[in-house]
Amino acid sequence: MITKKTVFGLVIVAIILAAGAYACMSKESSKGLVSIRTTGATFPQYQIQKWIEIYLKEHPNVKIEYEGGGSGHGQEAFLQGLTHIGRTDPPVRESTWNQFKKTGDQPLQFPEVVGAVVVSYNVPGLNSLKLSKDALVGIFIGNIIYWDDPVLKELNPNANLPHKEIIVVHRSDSSGTTSIFTTYMSLINKTWKSRVGAGKTVEWPTDSMGRGLGGKGNPGVVTVLMQTPYSICYTELSFALEEGLSVAEIENAQGAFVKPTKNTIKAAVSAVSSHIPSPSEGYMEDLSQLLNAPGEDSYPIVAFTHLLVWKNLGGKHYSTKEAKAIKDFLFWILTDGQKEENLAPGYVGLPPEVAEMGLSAVNSIHE
Amino acid sequence: MYSRVADRFRLITSPAVFFVFILFCGMLAVYFSNAYPAIRREGVHLFLDNTWRAAEEPEEEYYGIAAAIWGSIYTSSIAILISMPLAISYSIFVVDCAPKRVKNVLIITSDVMAGLPTIIYGIWGVFVLVPFMKRYVMTPLYEHLHFIPLFSTPPISGFSYLSAGVLLAIMVTPFSSAIIREAYQMVPFRYREGAYALGLTRYEATKVLLGYIKPAIYSGLVLAFGRAIGETVAVSLVIGNSFNLTPSIFSPGYTISSLIANQFGNSFIYGHMRPVLYAAGLVLFLIGFLVNLAGMFILRRWKKNVEI
Amino acid sequence: MWKFSLRMAKDRVFIVAVSAFTILTVYPLLHIIYSVARNGLPVIMERGPTFFTGGMSEAGIGPAIAGTFLLVLLSSLIGLPIAFLVGVYAYEYPDSLIGRTTQALLQIMLEFPTVLVGVFVMDIIVLPMGTFSALAGAFALAIIMMPYVAVYTKEAMRQIPFTYREASFGLGVGRVKAIFRILVPLAKRGITTGILISMAKVAGETAPLLFTAGGLYESYPTSVTEPVGAIPLLIYTLIQSPSKDAHSMAWGASLVLLIFFLGVFIPIRRSLKVVRL
Repeated sequence: MITKKTVFGLVIVAIILAAGAYACMSKESSKGLVSIRTTGATFPQYQIQKWIEIYLKEHPNVKIEYEGGGSGHGQEAFLQGLTHIGRTDPPVRESTWNQFKKTGDQPLQFPEVVGAVVVSYNVPGLNSLKLSKDALVGIFIGNIIYWDDPVLKELNPNANLPHKEIIVVHRSDSSGTTSIFTTYMSLINKTWKSRVGAGKTVEWPTDSMGRGLGGKGNPGVVTVLMQTPYSICYTELSFALEEGLSVAEIENAQGAFVKPTKNTIKAAVSAVSSHIPSPSEGYMEDLSQLLNAPGEDSYPIVAFTHLLVWKNLGGKHYSTKEAKAIKDFLFWILTDGQKEENLAPGYVGLPPEVAEMGLSAVNSIHE
Repeated sequence: MYSRVADRFRLITSPAVFFVFILFCGMLAVYFSNAYPAIRREGVHLFLDNTWRAAEEPEEEYYGIAAAIWGSIYTSSIAILISMPLAISYSIFVVDCAPKRVKNVLIITSDVMAGLPTIIYGIWGVFVLVPFMKRYVMTPLYEHLHFIPLFSTPPISGFSYLSAGVLLAIMVTPFSSAIIREAYQMVPFRYREGAYALGLTRYEATKVLLGYIKPAIYSGLVLAFGRAIGETVAVSLVIGNSFNLTPSIFSPGYTISSLIANQFGNSFIYGHMRPVLYAAGLVLFLIGFLVNLAGMFILRRWKKNVEI
Repeated sequence: MWKFSLRMAKDRVFIVAVSAFTILTVYPLLHIIYSVARNGLPVIMERGPTFFTGGMSEAGIGPAIAGTFLLVLLSSLIGLPIAFLVGVYAYEYPDSLIGRTTQALLQIMLEFPTVLVGVFVMDIIVLPMGTFSALAGAFALAIIMMPYVAVYTKEAMRQIPFTYREASFGLGVGRVKAIFRILVPLAKRGITTGILISMAKVAGETAPLLFTAGGLYESYPTSVTEPVGAIPLLIYTLIQSPSKDAHSMAWGASLVLLIFFLGVFIPIRRSLKVVRL
């Protein structure tokens, strides 16, 4: 009873089976293929993706899967063994570090690049915005409600400030970018420190005023900002550059108003002697070391962002092939990857002694 | 002899049936056991408060999912409010007015809409529906009627309870209309004949006939509500994901399912967030379960009465 | 005269309203198909075959397509046998306690929020395994597929005239043989339809894969215990990025998914109407 319908059904089943067979066949042809996964912070997104792209050209059999999710998710995925390389902006806390160690393996944490958190806004007709420390805190804590508030008008006398409410866009997920931003805010303002505090997730005062929106990941925040006129957000510099967003000038430790650029970030990095602890004790690092750096040209909200790998004691987390590929990739990131041509716009390379710490950690990974 | 053969059939099929039972009970067990720590820690406030304080120090954490519960119920209610007239009209049209070919096309269209991957609804919702709603519906309404509390939030981005409700209505109408359509079709022809014989207009006759299938309409309504509440992907893309608790339909909000979808990935580093999300899932399950039970009950009872 | 025209007026308004609402009900589908085609077609035309075979770095969705196929295949392998048997049981013993409970259970599972299924599978498979995997994703999809296949199977078998049963038993054929060798083949069309519709539905699911499959878009899946990608999951991730490139890719992937879905669903659905025994 071979009817048209039966034939049709068989064809569909055949297609599905063929596709499945193809998938298995590709298993045969991909004997040399290694698949590595990196998960976590979206702060370094453009940099990691650029590195993956360049590295792939020279090593076509190493496929590196990029996954976002935020620093919190990155740490958690790393802990659960759901990813090979975790990405986190703030150094991992001691309690989490101990949880890592409970798996029986030694975690290693080291910075891979330097980035900056910028304040971006979407106000039609407004092309430049200066924000003093008080203005910045005032906006995000909810005291400054309208764009044409006297405080803002005073700082920006020639600007086209409309009488519209300020919508504050923040992260809805567990975010290292939030951590960096709120740590800075706590540093410069006592009221912020006591009322909101710092962390990967905080309660934003503007939410309860109905002027808050959340976005998932830096990409999510930027999407919301772009679709919401009269909004303001904090995000990594690369996102602002990539999407052509307007960025505010922030008052730094010296009292000067600086725009976030490669030079102002470099100035901040060189003004501070970075202290990176041993990668096997990553939790001891201080997130705020690059924040509010001294120097006339320094941009105040600058931070390292970190990678998490396992030492792979007893081959616990990586197979030999994977460990080799990971070591090679990380070595490349910390050497060639730091060269000017391989850096993405919005990011600055590591000071040489910091990169050294990372290299020693990478070399210690067991294969 | 016969009983042994009968046993063989049961032998073959029973493992499958038991597997399904165990699976279902397993799901409930996992949910209850994972949700319990949160309920024990925060008690009933977990469901009544609207806070979301995730902190690295476990003692500092405090969660209240009232906003998500409100959002789920509110958007689903908006959805069925919009969907009911549509589903009923559609059923009337298909059964009473449409010529045979059109009838088939309409029915297949409805079924396709019921099965369409929800992510496609989602992408259409984000890039087409929301901008449309914001420009042509929400902004004019806000400008002229913003003194009414319902319209009191300025539609900034378009992501709101209303957008989610409209999208849900579109997604859910095929489900309720399938039930109503079938029931309407089953109304004995003699009632229709009788109505027209008495000289009723089509409008009046339809009113009478619809009265006959009222339980089916309720059942359709209730099942649509259950479906709407469980929808995750499409809703999480258009609702705005903000912890608000307000009746203003232009305001962004949260639903239980989008809360779980958004926050589950983070939840492991916060000591107490995961049980809270499981508790939220439990609430979702309970609401959906009760709602569906009610719907099935109404339908079954009515079917028994009608099938003589 | 006066009363007459008010009634007629109401009638007119009614007809217009019903027609308008009906159009409003089905119009979104047309608009969705139009939007997806309009936004997705240019993307596919532009990128050509690499769109279907390349990985993410080559701006292609090949691994996602392979992943979807793998997941549908795997979940069918896991879910179909069980669902089929459950459906047959529900048909054969509709009034027993277990039978009625099973049917009620199936109805509940049909409406179960899919995200909760994903969370459950994450708890029992992903975490113990320590990795996202195609297996976990397939298991979640199988759970969602099962009630559909079971209900379709039961309904298809119910369509068979009772005379066939009577004739089989009259000839002394045992219950097992009667059901599996005689009745099931008679319901073959309805059952296959149910299976294909469920597979099409499950290919478009996103929520159950969120916490189980993991996502794999650079390279093709090589093992079922490794993470895997899927077209709906990819679209979901791409929509949330601000970049226009990601959005174009999302539209292109949506078009692929839509064509696949409609291509399977519409012919199957049409033939269902034709099934008359």
